[in-house]
Amino acid sequence: MYLALLELKAARGRFLLMGSVVVLVAALVGIVSGFATGLGNDTVSALRRLPATHIAFAAGSNSDQFARSLIDQRAVAGWTSEKGVQATPLGVAITRGTTDRNVEVDLAAFGVQPGAFTDPGAEDGHRLDAAAPEGIVVSSQLVNDGVHIGDTLTIDRLGIRLKVTGTTGRSSYGHVAVAYMTLDTWRQIRFTTPGALTPPAGLPDQYTAMALDVPADLRGQALADADRRLGTATVALQDAFAAAPGYAGERLTMNSIETFLFLIAPLVVGAFFAVWTVQRTPELALLRAMGASRRRLLGHTLAQAAVVVAVGTAAGAALAAAVGLLVGEKVPFSLPAVTLATTMAAVVLVGLAGSAFTLRRVTTVDPMTMLGAAR
Amino acid sequence: MTLHLNGITVTLGRGESRTIALGGLTASFRPGALTALVGPSGSGKSTLLAVAGALLRPDQGQVLLNDTDLAALTDRQRAHARRTRIGYMFQSGNLLTGLTAEEQLLAAASLAGHKPRALRAKARELLAEVGLDHRLRHRPDQLSGGERQRVALARALLARPELLLVDEPTAAVDRTRADDLTRLIARTTHEHGCVTLVATHDPVVVEAADTTIDMLDHAPAAAA
Repeated sequence: MYLALLELKAARGRFLLMGSVVVLVAALVGIVSGFATGLGNDTVSALRRLPATHIAFAAGSNSDQFARSLIDQRAVAGWTSEKGVQATPLGVAITRGTTDRNVEVDLAAFGVQPGAFTDPGAEDGHRLDAAAPEGIVVSSQLVNDGVHIGDTLTIDRLGIRLKVTGTTGRSSYGHVAVAYMTLDTWRQIRFTTPGALTPPAGLPDQYTAMALDVPADLRGQALADADRRLGTATVALQDAFAAAPGYAGERLTMNSIETFLFLIAPLVVGAFFAVWTVQRTPELALLRAMGASRRRLLGHTLAQAAVVVAVGTAAGAALAAAVGLLVGEKVPFSLPAVTLATTMAAVVLVGLAGSAFTLRRVTTVDPMTMLGAAR
Repeated sequence: MTLHLNGITVTLGRGESRTIALGGLTASFRPGALTALVGPSGSGKSTLLAVAGALLRPDQGQVLLNDTDLAALTDRQRAHARRTRIGYMFQSGNLLTGLTAEEQLLAAASLAGHKPRALRAKARELLAEVGLDHRLRHRPDQLSGGERQRVALARALLARPELLLVDEPTAAVDRTRADDLTRLIARTTHEHGCVTLVATHDPVVVEAADTTIDMLDHAPAAAA
């Protein structure tokens, strides 16, 4: 290790250059990971915070189910009477509104049954109340946008007036902040024709899906049987995320970028150490002649790579975290410590894997070249 | 402390390019004596150094360094012998780039399993012995060719080697420095009591040597 550190010190310019590249790669991986998580949260945080295990959509809707699916009363009644299963209707629709203080916002209208397990409650103000169906509970992003308790929010082109009674934590769907409301209010928003200004009489008794809390012993065949009987298609909550708008495409894009970065990282580190090893082949031969074992030279090379990769990655992680702090809540960026640590551990591993490309050359250096006896 | 080479045969290359570099060479070398290996290029001087220095395993024969047959050791044992019992001074490329003269010795100490800090005083003493006490902090590119060779000599002596192997020490330095270096190698050989073999073309080195081996006398054809 002493010799490895001496060499690092002696060739600090080269190692700093390499370290800088590792810093940038690690920071980029961290930032992309932060955006991937942030965008994911921004798309499905409202779904993620649902205390449900499954979502039952209408059968036949295989993509964008939250937009396409409508389940009828038969399915609602069937699921709510299913033994051992907690079930409640869920309505999801994206709309726009303007407050009485002229704050214009997009909002994801989440219709839930007040008091049901999907009811988010309220961190401030009052929770949803079936007796006051115009009341809504808004997520913290809407509060940040200027929507406050006591405001009246009018849904654009529908004229439906809602009263903000409470607020809850971060919750968004498809990058749109969520407002929780009663199912009746949600049905008005969902089924009123834009421009009609008054809701039609006899709104359909339909909802987007059923939120289910299914005990582990009832999953599998029991769910499939219920789906067949009730005309629904039930998926696990995690799988329902893909039904949110843009979620699958975003994940694919961000994961592709991350994958490419994980492929690039070992190549960059490997290329550097390959050049470094070629340059110092005579010195490796000298060390072998002086009695350094192959194992020691391997350890020596890996120690140098580990220092460069670990220090570079740590600095890259700090840079990514700083970017996260800098952008704050202006953009969907989320880099929890666990995600950061996991991602950076992966960067260290692929970086070291890159340096491993050079190990064979290190072990095959011939000390005889120092004497030229084979000349 | 003696070095005894017994019936050393070394062939180099393969197929049509296969040549016999040493053919059954037998020789003994006494401690505290400087032996010059002379002969034209290709006569086997460097091969002899490589075999004696446990860098090359002979096809046949024994390399007895104080009763240890270096030729019979495993790769790992030979590496250990090189670290702890043998000192080298090569013709060129002796020093590690970017390391100061003192660090060259400390690196060798670390390689031999010693704590570098514990040998710092010894390293400085040896560098003073070769006349470089004012060059401790100088890197190879700040040293002359002769000074680089002196650092290599000091480094070779750090492990108190039983055997010191020197390859063409004066080939890349001017006459004055070559003479100084030759005297230094002879003096340290006598003072440290090691077996020293020097491969050389330089008559001054030959003159300073206690004994001389002309490799042509041991050429494969002659041996045959």
